[in-house]
Amino acid sequence: MTARLLPKKDLPGFIAALAKKQEVWAPVRIQSQEAARFSRIDRPEDICLDYLNTKLPVKELFFPQREVMFTFNPGERSSAQASAQVRERVVLGVRPCDAAALELFDKVFVDESKTASPLAESKTAGPLADPYYKERRDKTTLIGLACNAPGQACFCTATDGGPHSTRGLDLLLIDLGDRFLARPVTAKGEALAKGLARAKDKDISLADELAEEARATMDFAIELKQLQKSLDKAFDHEVWHRLSLPCVNCGVCTYVCPACHCFDVTDEEYKDSGARIRTWDSCQFSLFTRHASGHNPRPDGMSRMRNRTLHKFCYFPKTQDKVLCVGCGRCITECPAGIDLRETLETLRDTLS
Amino acid sequence: MTNPWLPVPVRVDRITIENEARDLKTFELSFVNDADRKAFSFIPGQFGFISLSGVGEAPFGIASAPHEERVRYTVKKAGVFTAALHEIDEGAVVGMRGPYGNWYPFDLMKGRDVVIVSGGFSFTTLRSTIVHMLGPELRKDFGRLTVIYGARSPGELMYKDELRAWEKSPDIELTLCVDCLDGECWPLTEGLVPNVLKQLAPDSGNAVALVCGPPIMIRFTHPVLKELGFPPDRVFLSLENRMKCGIGKCGRCNIGEKYVCKDGPVFSYEQLLSLPADY
Repeated sequence: MTARLLPKKDLPGFIAALAKKQEVWAPVRIQSQEAARFSRIDRPEDICLDYLNTKLPVKELFFPQREVMFTFNPGERSSAQASAQVRERVVLGVRPCDAAALELFDKVFVDESKTASPLAESKTAGPLADPYYKERRDKTTLIGLACNAPGQACFCTATDGGPHSTRGLDLLLIDLGDRFLARPVTAKGEALAKGLARAKDKDISLADELAEEARATMDFAIELKQLQKSLDKAFDHEVWHRLSLPCVNCGVCTYVCPACHCFDVTDEEYKDSGARIRTWDSCQFSLFTRHASGHNPRPDGMSRMRNRTLHKFCYFPKTQDKVLCVGCGRCITECPAGIDLRETLETLRDTLS
Repeated sequence: MTNPWLPVPVRVDRITIENEARDLKTFELSFVNDADRKAFSFIPGQFGFISLSGVGEAPFGIASAPHEERVRYTVKKAGVFTAALHEIDEGAVVGMRGPYGNWYPFDLMKGRDVVIVSGGFSFTTLRSTIVHMLGPELRKDFGRLTVIYGARSPGELMYKDELRAWEKSPDIELTLCVDCLDGECWPLTEGLVPNVLKQLAPDSGNAVALVCGPPIMIRFTHPVLKELGFPPDRVFLSLENRMKCGIGKCGRCNIGEKYVCKDGPVFSYEQLLSLPADY
């Protein structure tokens, strides 16, 4: 597909044109937190593009922290009405790691695979795709913003990504100083960039140089396929006790993780309205797995920390052939106990090999 | 696109209290809409969610057989949701979604003897299995059907009318056991399920075992089955884990890379041996 050029001075006009046909979402600076968050854009000047990454991953636009799945009339035990759905939109300024995580989300939420019987009989158990996620995904075009200066905690190059990766994106913008190189990835992305001037060879080679430079600043590397194999036999290893000692099971790593998808479902009822709500949940909480009988398969912090690590680097890759981590580093910067996932993985590699 | 989250309305036609402790109730449900009834088909071993708007929803194994008119669930009063469900009256309309999960290995069971070992209120999906197998067209497909079903006391045995009928039937060899006879003596054996299984010693030569019960019963049943010669790939268990979605997304019912909701709830013992002991 043809790479194009978007001069920075034309960005407001480009966004205004997009906004005529659909909603535009992009990072906006939250002053109180010195952080950026994806918000609906009314004025192009509100967009903030000089952020390392948003505090919360873009997943919240597809899988909101709190989502009404349907409403009902209080008092009626069975009535249910599906809630209103989303409009077509463009999300601009998505970091490559967050976009890659949406590909992983697709495997969870749009999976329509058949239920496996113990004997592989062939019968479907009905559609398993999540309609809320799928509709948001179908109606969204993703414009990424490449990272020329990855952060201290970033390690996307170790997780099948990269600072200029196009995984999961429709169009990637690369900052070339006074202009962006616009690299279409999908037909949707190409359509958005159609009106822009063609990029020259020197723009493309400058972008490639920037990608190389960015990559060179990221030195964390680990053989994840090999690690997966060792983890597969490490469930009862004592290393988990050591690794989980500093963890306070606060769950922040799961909330800020672009690939963590676990949720709870609860009902809320007010005087004249009721709703079934889906909210983010965390495998780090003891109630997450506790049975009504009181039995809990993962009763302590160690077993919960172990499950999170194994889910991301062993269980998920076993069924989906990808680690459930995109190396965004949020869990590292947000952990109150200073746990660094990269160190955890290195310890596991060194201990289990 | 169908929305798997939306429960369909079902009417509670009949409620039966199953035990002396009065904390087990069977709910017989019929579909309010004909289209929903036609769309609902399942195989014994699968489960569904019962939904009470304003309270929530929870998964339960289906206790009825596919050919029975009403879908039934037997529910133990254990938490907030089940307490609310136990308050429901006959005639109420509640929600249901499903069926989910896999089922008992009927293809493998065809032409073989079937040994069912169960304790406590987990007998539900096995009741579904037995009624299904005893069905007019299916019984001839299977060999001997041996059922061992145990409870703490006689008053805790569920589906008593059916149990009495099965005792007289030539199609099923039923052994009922209780931890303590409590003075009752209708064909009941005193003893724990694994011990009774050992005494009974059903032939494992061409048999499949289905096991369902509390963890302690399962732990002591496995060595007996092994001793009797059942290979791990002919022993099947139905597991339960906390779940919210039933469709492999909410992330809490996993055992290793398997989700109980989607890859189970029925697992062969062979499969379980290859999974971490995280249940």
